[in-house]
Amino acid sequence: MHRPLLPIAIAALLVSPLAGASTDAEIAELRMLIEQMKSQYERRIQALESRLAQAELAAKPSASPDASATSAPRAIQAETRPMTAPLASPAVTDAPRSGLEGVSGGDAFNPRLSVILDGNYYHDSHAGEGAALLGNAWQTASGGLDHAHDHAADEDHAHDAHAHGTPSNGFNLREAEIAFAATVDPYFDAALYLSVDGDGHVELEEGYVQTRSLPAGLRVKGGKFLSEFGYVNKQHPHEWDFVDQNLPYLNLLGQHGLQDTGLQLTWLPRLPIYTLLGVEALQGDQERFGATLDPTQQQALGLGRTNDGPRLWTAFAKLAPDLGVNHALQLGLSHAHNSQHQEVQEHTHGHAADEHHPEEIEVHRNGLDGDADLWGVDLVYKYDGGGAHGHRDFKFQTEYLRSIKDLTIRSSAHPEVVGSRRTFTTDGFYAQAIYGFAPRWSAGLRYDVLGLTNEVSGGRQEDAGSSDRWTFDVTWNLTEFSRLRAQYAYNSILESAHERERFDAVYLQFLMSLGAHGAHAF
Amino acid sequence: MIARLLTALLVLTLGVGTAREAAALAVVATSTSMGALARAVGAERVGVIVLAAPDRDLHALQAKPTMIRALRDADLVIAVGAELEVGWLPLAIASAANPRIQPGQPGYFEAADQVVRLDVGIPADRALGDVHPAGNPHVNLDPVRMSAIAAALAERMAGLDPDGAAGYRANAAGFAAALEQRLPSWQERLASAPGVLLYHRDALYLLDRFGVPLLGTLEEVPGVPPTARHLKRLTEQLRGRAGVVIHTPYQSPRAPRQMAQILGWPVYSLPLDPPADADAQAYLDHLDRWVMSLSPQP
Repeated sequence: MHRPLLPIAIAALLVSPLAGASTDAEIAELRMLIEQMKSQYERRIQALESRLAQAELAAKPSASPDASATSAPRAIQAETRPMTAPLASPAVTDAPRSGLEGVSGGDAFNPRLSVILDGNYYHDSHAGEGAALLGNAWQTASGGLDHAHDHAADEDHAHDAHAHGTPSNGFNLREAEIAFAATVDPYFDAALYLSVDGDGHVELEEGYVQTRSLPAGLRVKGGKFLSEFGYVNKQHPHEWDFVDQNLPYLNLLGQHGLQDTGLQLTWLPRLPIYTLLGVEALQGDQERFGATLDPTQQQALGLGRTNDGPRLWTAFAKLAPDLGVNHALQLGLSHAHNSQHQEVQEHTHGHAADEHHPEEIEVHRNGLDGDADLWGVDLVYKYDGGGAHGHRDFKFQTEYLRSIKDLTIRSSAHPEVVGSRRTFTTDGFYAQAIYGFAPRWSAGLRYDVLGLTNEVSGGRQEDAGSSDRWTFDVTWNLTEFSRLRAQYAYNSILESAHERERFDAVYLQFLMSLGAHGAHAF
Repeated sequence: MIARLLTALLVLTLGVGTAREAAALAVVATSTSMGALARAVGAERVGVIVLAAPDRDLHALQAKPTMIRALRDADLVIAVGAELEVGWLPLAIASAANPRIQPGQPGYFEAADQVVRLDVGIPADRALGDVHPAGNPHVNLDPVRMSAIAAALAERMAGLDPDGAAGYRANAAGFAAALEQRLPSWQERLASAPGVLLYHRDALYLLDRFGVPLLGTLEEVPGVPPTARHLKRLTEQLRGRAGVVIHTPYQSPRAPRQMAQILGWPVYSLPLDPPADADAQAYLDHLDRWVMSLSPQP
């Protein structure tokens, strides 16, 4: 684009003395301009020469390294003196790239590919059932282990309690995450995340496109993705600071969190502090929050069929004041609404034995449907200690979730309750802190609790308390690409309203990152 | 109530950024070196925000919300490049929803891409550490390369802001002249420099420019901490000769101090980048510090 300028500038220089109107200053400026262009052209010619030399080299593959070293004129070597250092490798030179820069470099037209291997040794003092129990802690609205999702009727049990993140005692390969990401064209970026579990079951974690050239700070994402509800929801398991997910997310949203198919719109307005506003319209196929039953159960329980999507709507706002280079704080407020939620609640009646009948237990199933709301508040604070490899870095993270299900009983063995409304409210929070106590080493402490509130409307309080847990871990980042972690947790989990399990759980985890450099998200 | 809130929000939205709009170009630089370059070339026509403090590892930063906010309104991003900021800058740029600064656009400038890089073509094998086949990215310590980068930056700024074109080119030439002026004294000081033991190959371009011997690196391969075996071997090789140990503030000082003590050499902690808010003068003074530290001990 500068090429036509050179002749024009020269012409101008030649013409201007004739015109007689030019001053010395103008001449000096033009001279400088030409000097500038000259030096630019020299650089380009050097680049071309060195490229030519490389091309010549490539054309003579049989040449010995010594011969090629002497035959290849290194345009730049006159400028960069060779190293006199005994250990330094010789200064290999290369032509500058074409000016189409890219920090991500190196992948040409192929998508960036990365693989994360995530495996562990796990042991708990609850006969290996502890990890499954963590995600099925008792809550008022739940019918215990027989959960709302169509898991119960699933013929393919690949996806039941013992998959994706719920380990058994002993060795587990939690997942191999395979990620592809690329810029599609000037308008779109796209990414695909596949998760392969230890049994070889493949699951699509995310597959989405996202705009890159909308004006006014707008971005649109479409496809299957992790919702930006809250803070930890959009993190993949290998990004967590602990091996396992916190109790409120596990129990209110399920193993996968809010992972759904739909559209997201975010807006980054021109405000003095970072403010991100977003809304999402999602299909609503959820494990926990706004789950629907399968058609057989719907029919058996007198519940309506699953409505057309989108059924799940979210809105979120994130705020981050500027606290200088060493501190970072982000506050978030999120809301999600699912227009359809169905669940089965089981209760039992014990009939005491009398002279005519032996003791028997009768199981009653109530079918409920309605809608569900979820509120989330999050706070993340990070301190950059400036030490080597995360030494003295500190991170504090906390979130509060509150789920409110507004349901109507559609069918029951007790006809008098059919048609009556029940509102089930369950909440929970976690708070965790991570500190880099040495270069490459960090320690973390987490407290999480589910069911500070367990309420059913109509004054029917059946609060049996809450499930909680203390977790401690130590992480060793050998390099940017490998990570080893040891974690201990003391769990106090309600198995049912009257039964509390207290158990210890230990993880030894490895996380390996292969391929493209991972992104350091906040 | 809501209407009033919205009005307030709108007023706030429009009112913000006017300070930076006074400048013809809103520039975001990743490091203070790049910030100094932007100020040297752009002078009063640019408003510069620097994302990283000079004593931090540019390779290890996170894409913080405040960075994303700064990138949102930038006309030009100046990165060091060659994958130095690969962990956070692409993510921050993507999150900033600003089409002008996407890689490939005129508003995205990589310094290392403007010059010939060293250490290019290392096998892409991470058994050799955190290697980057695109080459050593730390071009900011070589004054001659920086003057070439300044010239390229002037052209880029001229393209984005044609009204200031003459000024940008003149400023880049001025920067080059100021460097020229100091070069002879630096060359003289470093002609008999004994050599340096670095932690990482991050001052390579400076050493290469002035022919200062690189006596070794404390880490055996990039991004992997020094091993006792490697340090022992270095000690055996270097015992008896003169030299200096230099590390950056974000590299663990333990191994450098230990080596300096064993070898009887001085040890310095020097940042790769000049202080915050550095301009051309501060950048040259920063190089002075490096030259002084590398010079033969009196």
